[in-house]
Amino acid sequence: MPGKARHPDPEEVAGFSPSTSLRVKVSLLEIAGLFCFIGLTSFGGGITAYIRRMVVTQKRWLTDDEFMPGLGLVQLLPGANVVGLSVYIGNHLKGPIGSVVALGSLLVPPFVSTCALGFLYFHAGHTADAHAVLAGVTAAACGLMASMVFEAGGEAIKGAFDVVLILITFALVRFAHLHVPYVILIVAPLAIWWHRPRPPKLKAPDTGDSTVS
Amino acid sequence: MNKTLLQLAGLFSSLSLSAFGGGKVVLPSMHQASVGEYHWMTSQEFVDLFSISMAAPGPSMMVVTLVGLKACLPYGPAIAILGALVATLAMFVPSSILVYFAGNWWDHWKESPWRHSVMNAILPISTGLILAATWIIAKTSIHSVPTAIMGIVALALMLFTKINPVLMMGMAGLISWVFLR
Repeated sequence: MPGKARHPDPEEVAGFSPSTSLRVKVSLLEIAGLFCFIGLTSFGGGITAYIRRMVVTQKRWLTDDEFMPGLGLVQLLPGANVVGLSVYIGNHLKGPIGSVVALGSLLVPPFVSTCALGFLYFHAGHTADAHAVLAGVTAAACGLMASMVFEAGGEAIKGAFDVVLILITFALVRFAHLHVPYVILIVAPLAIWWHRPRPPKLKAPDTGDSTVS
Repeated sequence: MNKTLLQLAGLFSSLSLSAFGGGKVVLPSMHQASVGEYHWMTSQEFVDLFSISMAAPGPSMMVVTLVGLKACLPYGPAIAILGALVATLAMFVPSSILVYFAGNWWDHWKESPWRHSVMNAILPISTGLILAATWIIAKTSIHSVPTAIMGIVALALMLFTKINPVLMMGMAGLISWVFLR
């Protein structure tokens, strides 16, 4: 698809990013500290708004002109937004090593605590008390996932065909038991074709509408 | 052991590059592979581990760490941690490398109209995948009237209040412990 992409404004092509921020000096330790904190306090929902508040508004490491393209990029690419943003922001501040430090600091503390919880579960998960607690936690996790269906659906559904796309995707996983990469390879071309860029009414309105130049 | 590590690396690196819309969209494949194909765990264990990862700090897809841990648990705790590490790196590194390199040509097409086409195409697909994931979690976690009520109350709380999901899951565990013990 990038091949077919119409080129952006000439000024965009000619010069690089037009944002004019002072390159702030940020140490690797500061990057590590921030992403440790984000990793340990991130629980899904609203995390991108929270990261923006931290790095743009509070610490002023990036301007909005620098942050927003990064957010647009990671939303388009696979992977959790918070993970992609750590790589993008780390690279922006300190190059490749900044990316590695940001990603590592984001993942290491949760990795340790998650492993500890895992071993606790393997040792005590079969007791009656653990069963009772987990019955509630899994039911709540199910409700949480269901709420994400509503959130994602609210953003996704712009017309009846989007509902069809949702149901096709669901059916391919649920009934055809296809793995997610294959489902995406099947549905994505259809979905991209449906949502392809359309000329903004240059030919269609012959009558009535005001002239478009 | 080597075979399990390779399976973990192969599974999660392919899922890493398919997780359009976040890690939760690949949950159905993760479940299918670890329960149905490789027999690393039962469906109940998968849902337990998924719920634990949701209630623990970290990006939402730390369940991969727990899947790696469980898959290699038969080889001892040290190998289990190695399995967790392999699974975690396989899930998070490929997509991160993609972000790193994509940043370089992003400037050239971030204004392209195709960007919105792709975004609008990804959204319904990820919704369908999250729906399939929810279905899998529900089949195992909602097995009685009390769990159904808790699931619905949790859904309502998430949709209509600003409650912290971790607090909500902790409360559900406590209530369930008091009444279902």
